[in-house]
Order: sequence, then C-alpha cells, then structure tokens
Amino acid sequence: MVATVLRLRYRILGNILSRNPWQLVGFCLGVLSALWLLALVAFAMIALAGLGDASVSRMVVVLGGSALVAGWVIGPLLIAGMDTTVDAGRLAPFPLTRRQVMLALTGTGATGVPGITTTLAALITAIVWWRSPVALLVAVPCALLGALVCVIAGRLAGTLSASLGGNRRGRELVGTLALGLVIMAGPILSAVAVGVGAAVDAVDRVALAADVLGWTPIGAAWAVPADLAAGTWASALVKVLIAVATLAGLWLIWSRALAVGVVAPRHRVARAADPGRLGLFGLMPTGGVGATWARSLTAWLRDPRYLRQLIFVPLFPALFAFTGGLREGPFVASAVIVAFVLSITGYTDISYDGTAFASVLSTGVRGWQDRLGRLLGAATVGIPAVVLVAIVTLVIADAVALLPGVLGAALGILLAGYAVSAVSSALIVSPVSAPGDSPFKTVPGQTFLNGLLVFVVMAGVLVLAAPSLITTVIGLVTGTVQLGWIALAIAVVVGSAAITGGVIVGGRTLERTGPSLLLRIKAFPTG
Amino acid sequence: MSTLTPALQLSGLVKSFSGTPAVAGIDLVVPAGSFYGLVGPNGAGKTTTLSMATGLLQPDAGSAHVHGVDVWAQPVEAKRIIGNLADGVRLFDRLTGEQLLTYTAMMFGIPRPEIAGRVGDLLDLMDLREAAGTIVADYSAGMTKKIALACALVHAPRLLVLDEPFESVDPVSAANIEDVLRGYTRSGGSIIISSHSMDLVQRMCDHVAVIAAGRVLAAGTVDEVRGGETLQDRFIDLVGGRHTSEGPQWLRQS
Repeated sequence: MVATVLRLRYRILGNILSRNPWQLVGFCLGVLSALWLLALVAFAMIALAGLGDASVSRMVVVLGGSALVAGWVIGPLLIAGMDTTVDAGRLAPFPLTRRQVMLALTGTGATGVPGITTTLAALITAIVWWRSPVALLVAVPCALLGALVCVIAGRLAGTLSASLGGNRRGRELVGTLALGLVIMAGPILSAVAVGVGAAVDAVDRVALAADVLGWTPIGAAWAVPADLAAGTWASALVKVLIAVATLAGLWLIWSRALAVGVVAPRHRVARAADPGRLGLFGLMPTGGVGATWARSLTAWLRDPRYLRQLIFVPLFPALFAFTGGLREGPFVASAVIVAFVLSITGYTDISYDGTAFASVLSTGVRGWQDRLGRLLGAATVGIPAVVLVAIVTLVIADAVALLPGVLGAALGILLAGYAVSAVSSALIVSPVSAPGDSPFKTVPGQTFLNGLLVFVVMAGVLVLAAPSLITTVIGLVTGTVQLGWIALAIAVVVGSAAITGGVIVGGRTLERTGPSLLLRIKAFPTG
Repeated sequence: MSTLTPALQLSGLVKSFSGTPAVAGIDLVVPAGSFYGLVGPNGAGKTTTLSMATGLLQPDAGSAHVHGVDVWAQPVEAKRIIGNLADGVRLFDRLTGEQLLTYTAMMFGIPRPEIAGRVGDLLDLMDLREAAGTIVADYSAGMTKKIALACALVHAPRLLVLDEPFESVDPVSAANIEDVLRGYTRSGGSIIISSHSMDLVQRMCDHVAVIAAGRVLAAGTVDEVRGGETLQDRFIDLVGGRHTSEGPQWLRQS
C-alpha cells in the first residue's frame, strides 16, 4: 500500500517535470544544491573528525541537528503546500487506515529531495565519532531517529497549517509572521548578542545553547553519540528516551490532527463582517479611478502578497542600524533604499489580479483610470511609509538638516517608480502566487526574460529619478542644505510629470494589451 | 431602431490556440429582447465564443457587434451595455460580497446615491443578504456564481452574456433568478446564456444555437431547432456520440 503511494508520488513528479521544462530546471537546481549541501556537510564533518575536539563536535552536531528539525517545522508554515502532490486529504477517499496513511506520508516525506538530503546529512554526522566505536555505532540509528523526527515534525506542521486552512486569515497571518521572524532573526540575534554583552565568551554561549538543546525534543537524538563519546552513559540513555518519546508524541499528535482534519476537511469558518461595512469602497468616489483605488488600497492593506512587500519598510532601517550603526551612511539613506524597493513592487501589478483581471476588462474602464487607480492605491501606502522612514531615521541619526535632500531623493525614486510601473504593468505579467496561497510560495514559470525585465524597469526608475538624486548627492557632498530643498522640488515636479506621462502612455497601452494580458494570466499554472 | 438592430451579432468569428482551432467561423444573431441559449458539448467553443463577444479575447478574424457597437473597435462603449458573467475566471474574492458588488457598481460609474439601493436589491434577489459581509473566497461554488451574476446585473446592461450561470446554484435560487431574467427580457433586455442543461434551455429560452467543434450546427427559435423532438434528443442527434450500452458486466450489482 505504502509502496503504491510512493510510486504514485514519483509518477506525479515525473509528469510535472516532463510537462514543464522550467520546473525541470528548478528541480535539477534543487538536486544540485542538495548535493552541494551534502558535500559541505561531509567536508565539515571530516574536518571536525580530524580536529578531534569532542566539545566542538557536540556543539556543531547538536546545533545543526536542532536547526534541521526547526527548519522542517517552519518550512511548511512558510511554503504552504510544500509537497501537496500526496497529502491526507487526497488519500481520504481510498480505503486506507489512518496508520497506513501516516506511513505512506512519512514514506513520501522521507523519500523527497529534502528527506533524502536530511537522512544522508544525518548519517554523515556519524563520521565525527569515529574515535569512539560505541558512539559511532549508536550514531547511525540516532541519525535515522533524528531524520525521522524531522520528517514527522514536518508532516505534523504541514497538517496543522493545512487544517488552519479553514481559518484562511490565520494561515496568512502565521505565514507572514513566520517570514518576518526569519528575516529579522539575524538582526534580533545580533541585537541580543550585543545586549548580553561581550562579558560571556561567544563560544561558551554557543556551547551552552548546544547543551540545553541536547535535553530538548529537537536536539536529543543528535546529542546521544556526543554523550557516549564523553562516556556519560546515563545522560545518553535519558536522551535516547527523550528522542523516542518525542517521536511517539509527534506520531500521536499527528494522528489526532489527521483524525480531526479528515473528519472536517477544509472546513471553512466563514467570519462575516457586519453588512454595510464597505470599507474603502464606501469612501472613494464612484467611477473607475475611485473603484480601482479602493480595490488596490484594500489589497495593499490586507493581501499578504502586498503586505510582504511592506515588510521591507521597517526591515531596511533595522538592518542598516544593526550592521552599520545609527550615524552611518546606509542608515541615513534608509528612506531612499526603501523607496527604491517600494517603487518597483508594482511593476507587474496586474499579475496579482489573477484571472479576476477579466472583471476589470469586462467593465470597459478606461486604461488611464485603471492606471491612476492602482497608482493612487500604491501611493497611499508608499508615500507616507517613505516619509515616515525618512523622518524617523533622520531624527534618530540626529541629522534632521538632511531631511529635504533625503526626502527629495526618496520621493524622486518613488514617483519615478510609479510612473514606470504604470507603463510596465500594462506590458508584463508574471506568474505570482494565487490570492490566498502563501505569498512565499515559489511559482513555476518565472522566466529568465521576466527576470531581466526587472533590471530594465529599475534602469527606467533610476533615469527618471536621476535629476533629484544627483541634486541631493551634490548637496550632501558640498554640504549645501539649500540643494536638498531644490532636490525635493525637482522630485515633486519631475515625478508628477513622469506620472502624468506614465498614466497616459500606460493607459493607452493597457487598452491595447488588456485581452492578451488576460490570455497570458490564464495560461499561468496558478490561474 | 433598437428593435431592428440585433442585440448581439457575431460574424465569422475565428480563434485558434497554438494552431488548434477552438472557434472555426461562428455567425450568430441574437435578436433584441430575445432569451438566447447556446448549447454544445464540452470543448465546443462556447466560452471562447462568448469571450470574443464580450471583449475579453481578441478574435483571429471576424467581428462582434452589440446593439450595433463594434466590440473590438469601440470596446469601452460596447462594454458599458454588456453585463458579463465569464466562466473560469476568478473574482476579486478577497472582498466581501457587498464590497465586490459596490466595487463593480463604482467601476461602471453608477452615481453614489444609487449604489446602495442596487446592491441591496441584488443581495436580496440572490438570497445573499446573510452572506453580504463574508469574503467571497469563503463562498460556496453556487454562492460565487450568484454574486458574479449580481455583478453582471448591477449596471442594468442592455445585453446579458451569461456563461453557465446556473452551475452549482441551488434550485430555489435558480427559480428566483429565472423569474428575474424573464422579467428582464420582457422589459426589452436581451440575454445569451450558455448551458449544459437542455431542459433549462428548452424551458427558458426562445432561441437556441447548437455548436460543436467551433461551428454552429443549428440555430433559430427553440421550436425550429428541436422540430417536434425534445431539445435533448435533437441535441444528441446533431452532436452524436451517444452510447447505448448498460455499462460493463462487472459493474452490475446482480
């Protein structure tokens, strides 16, 4: 039975890969990077084995193993539906016991590229213990145990995130928060490290973390060989028990989660707003511009695929503050960088409509109305965000005198970006994740050409923003504060002119290209 | 004059997708005030034809006129008078039903004071009052069809183009919608509707066209096309492919 499901899974994979060459390329890259990772692990382990320092070995193996387990848990939350070719919901119609379903899913999880890589990497770590035959011998089953914990924890996380699917908002929220955490992990950790202070030696702290993790469910299996090598048999035994109990516990919880999930599959908890709550649709003026503005702004405020772009607004200043310090160039220029990122987010804005673009097309709204509406939606979020970042960073950096210049450069870029996007999004659509899917899902079909077009769009933005940008730079270099004000004025004037041109040209283009854009969107795998 | 100009006139429409013809020369005349059924087997080209008639899909050749307005030469003017329920496309389903209807009304530039009244009427009509505040993504398939139909009606179009409007819609709602559509044609509106339900087309429509493999096999009033038979039998005669076996032996229960 399990074998049948495994064959099914490889048959599906084969069909997908033979149908779509780009997915084949992606798959090959995945396999190559897996091999590269394995080679790195092998190299590191051989180095560790040669080094022969047991405490360092323990540190690396336990931390690495724990990170692996954590990755398997967080992965499915980030990439909703990482491997849904075979999942419990799809197996539900077949006469399989829940145990058989779980075995089949464990099997498919362990035999995918990540599963195989994890298992091999875990086995390679055993090399480290070659000096101690007992540890080496025990390390093999422990590695398999650890890999199994990874797979089942991943499956459990997948099941839980899928059953959150009933609560769509919840899943979207969890996904966004998880990505925020992952991105901010570096800065947060370095802040904590700075906060804790250099009083404790860094290596000691890491070793301590490894010791603690070894007693927890995610680290226990990896710590057993280290304990054996050190001769602490009792703690090794306890850790074996912890690891086995972890596996059993995960299996039980997963079983319960599946039982609930299959009985009430994808139950939709419709959370109704009060009737009459029109949101922005009650505020904006009627007509094509107002309607598009309201829809676009609603998406910017609520759609995770747009919100993901806004993560960068606080992220860049934070990153620059941690890496460069509060008085340094990058932090002071945060607003400019943020503006650059925000300016090109809408370069294929129609892609995010998906096939709902058909309803825009069938209303016969004029091209310039659509362009202006989308632009206003983006600007209602983007301009305040950039201004806010500029003011906050410059106040913190105690360089408020630079505000006009920084604002000039930032707004110059942002407005130029809106102008370029008004034209480019009437010409280009690219496959993006469907509304409701995880915004972090990688979508097949992103072509090389589309990748190049981003650079064309960026170049266009920089050319249009050049007057204010150059004025600001001259002002900064020569220390002429007045030039900052001139840059700001240039940004507003040139930006407004560019936007007017962009809306007119983009509008005319869209009226010509609309039907073919819809046809291309329909051909995308996400629909 | 408007009674003489057809509500929809398709002339020589052709469309191929990467070499495979989907629509191979379709001519249709939907008289003003008629309730026109478009029937055909799966893959006959119904959706492709209706997409070209509503300005969503550029034809390779041929033209579409709505009340005399060329859809592809004057798309904005044509689309103002078309109410379109397209099949196989999403809605902006992150909006609540009420927001989506309001949005659609705004897109057509309905004056603000009129919008709330129209939206309320349509929600009642589609039995969606309870679900007005629910996000459309959380609607069932039938509810989604109904809100899409409501969106097609909100600007009081002269021609309704409905692709599979009754798919997954419950019988009570379907009966209510049927009444409204009949009233609409009696008051001078025109409807073209694609459907797989021959009973429904025979009951509701006064005209019908049977298409298969991208061509019109028969067109005219329902009585002309069915010629004494039921529409179902006539359709199967025209399209062919009916099997008369009772299924394989192993499937029999006794």
